[in-house]
Amino acid sequence: MRVKVLACCSLGFLLLICAAPPMDTVLAADRQCNRACLNGFVDQYLAAMVAHDPSRLPLAKNVKFTEDGVPLKLGDALWATATGLGAYKLYFAEPAAGAVGAFVLVQENGTPAILELRLKVVKRQITEIETLVARKETTSFLNTDNLIVPRPVFLETVPAADRPPREEIVSMVGKYFDGIEQGNGDIVPFDKDCIRIENGIQTCPSSASSSLGALSCGAQLSTKIFTYIQSVSPRRFPIVDDERGLVLAIVRFNHPATSQTVDVPGRGKMTMGRYSQWPNSTEIAELFKVKDRKICEISAVIVTATYKAPTGWE
Amino acid sequence: MKRKLFAVIAMGVLCSGAFAARSGKGEASANPPRPADASSCDRECLNGFVDRYLDAVVAHDPSRLPLTKTVKFTEDGQRLGLGDGFWRTATERGTYKFYMDDPQAGQVVFFGTMREAGTPVSLVLRLKIENRKIAEIETIVVRQGMNPARPNDTGAESFEKLGGPDPLFLEAIPPAERVSRDELARTANKYFSGMQMNDGKGDYSFFADDCSRVENGQLATGGRNTMASGSAPDNSYGVLAGCRAQFQSGLLHFVTRIRDRRFVVLDTEHGVALAFIFFDHAAGNTRTFQTPDGKTVTAGPTNPWTWEMAEAFKVEKGQIRRIQAIFHRCPYGMNSGWSSWEDSMSDKARW
Repeated sequence: MRVKVLACCSLGFLLLICAAPPMDTVLAADRQCNRACLNGFVDQYLAAMVAHDPSRLPLAKNVKFTEDGVPLKLGDALWATATGLGAYKLYFAEPAAGAVGAFVLVQENGTPAILELRLKVVKRQITEIETLVARKETTSFLNTDNLIVPRPVFLETVPAADRPPREEIVSMVGKYFDGIEQGNGDIVPFDKDCIRIENGIQTCPSSASSSLGALSCGAQLSTKIFTYIQSVSPRRFPIVDDERGLVLAIVRFNHPATSQTVDVPGRGKMTMGRYSQWPNSTEIAELFKVKDRKICEISAVIVTATYKAPTGWE
Repeated sequence: MKRKLFAVIAMGVLCSGAFAARSGKGEASANPPRPADASSCDRECLNGFVDRYLDAVVAHDPSRLPLTKTVKFTEDGQRLGLGDGFWRTATERGTYKFYMDDPQAGQVVFFGTMREAGTPVSLVLRLKIENRKIAEIETIVVRQGMNPARPNDTGAESFEKLGGPDPLFLEAIPPAERVSRDELARTANKYFSGMQMNDGKGDYSFFADDCSRVENGQLATGGRNTMASGSAPDNSYGVLAGCRAQFQSGLLHFVTRIRDRRFVVLDTEHGVALAFIFFDHAAGNTRTFQTPDGKTVTAGPTNPWTWEMAEAFKVEKGQIRRIQAIFHRCPYGMNSGWSSWEDSMSDKARW
């Protein structure tokens, strides 16, 4: 290689080329896929899916595909049943990691469902496809009526000076799951007006008419009403979109169902949710908006899973 | 180096030969069980292990059991630590008990009812016994929450109303009429092959005229099967009486794949075969099809749907007379926890 470089430079007239970055760096830069490029992959994926035709995609040879944690052949499951796309599309990306995700409304044989999609793109080929599909039959609650356009906060750019390093922002989001496990909202860096929307339904702050009364996201955790969630494990944070202050966590909530009631401070004994009734898990893709180092909005896609079922990516 | 290379090639030839022999049959006995010896576990012994196991579950105490060092436990296809899952929540044994034994394979499967926090549930339990220790534990627990087709019925109450298994399952086959393990499995497997992408045009003579099927405690071949896919009555196999008539209708086409067919009990003395399987419903363009009478029908689930199932067959004189199944919905395409991905996706039968 050195001999070649010397020979090249000795020719003089190619001096400019010799001073340029090595060719593989140039190619790598060329291959790197920025936000627009990554979003294009999502568009391409969704179009191919609705056409039931995986051959339209640039796929790596060893591409891996899961739906609801189950490894499947590409073309199976939602690929066979998707009949259209809704208007609702929320994209987020981490270009340095070749990672892009989306929450999308899909039509499946005419019935709406929410798709969470994660792609990994290497050298402009898709190497990983992870999906969760919240369907009426595979989750305990779902309402797609309000999923028309993404909430604007998820699209807002965070000023460059206010972007925490990846490790820090992931740690902040991790405290949310710690807070669920410990029944303690005080340890979570919630914005006081934080909103959480799960499968299209706002679940905090709760309304005054709910069994808990009007409570913020943090206060809700501190009631210990989520005691049936014994652990949030495993936890992955595959996408950090630092430009927008977004973190995608993919986690499993484990519900061993060893108790169905809990003592809520100030309210006495209360029956916990239906997931406390039998051993089960939920697989969850949860998108967090972090602004001013506070969690200010959460959007989640939730699918009921067999107790401690692998997410397919451990 | 040359020696090593030769050894590798020789191994490769042996392996490929074994594979060819296996795949050539299309269905296969991968590991034929060794004949029983003095240390093996007879029916009484196997059933005793089931009872000990269930008593230990209710006591939430796995330490009561004789376990091999490498014992493996799954619940609903997921590998768990023994003591987790149903071990924590079981409160009582139920009254329905159906033991299916295969002493030659050292395996027993139990269909029964239990209580979980007081709620009736149906249970499938498979134990594999080695040297009088439990080496494998496979369970399916049918609960209300996991069965959207019948959200308030786990089958347990229906099973208990039946009182016990159909007596035919318990009758011994006259020695002269007993068939080999292979033949028993092949006959039972015709049921799965006839149902997968059912077109109504196959040879369904493997059903006896009086064949009946019970699913989660309810008769599914009496002409009033309310579980039959949610299809309109005109398009539902469930309104037809009899095993053969349902297959001849071609209305089960939407069952697109019956995979990971593991025959784990082959009881030649009683003519009983039991398989763990998954029924996949891809729910795409396979929902619309033509029946033998020329009618175009759209039927079956509208989203990808898998039943995780254990199904028992009573086979006499080469025909299926009784079928009993316990099942629930599971994530589409799920693995049993006992098969490679390739085997779990294959529709080849294994025993």
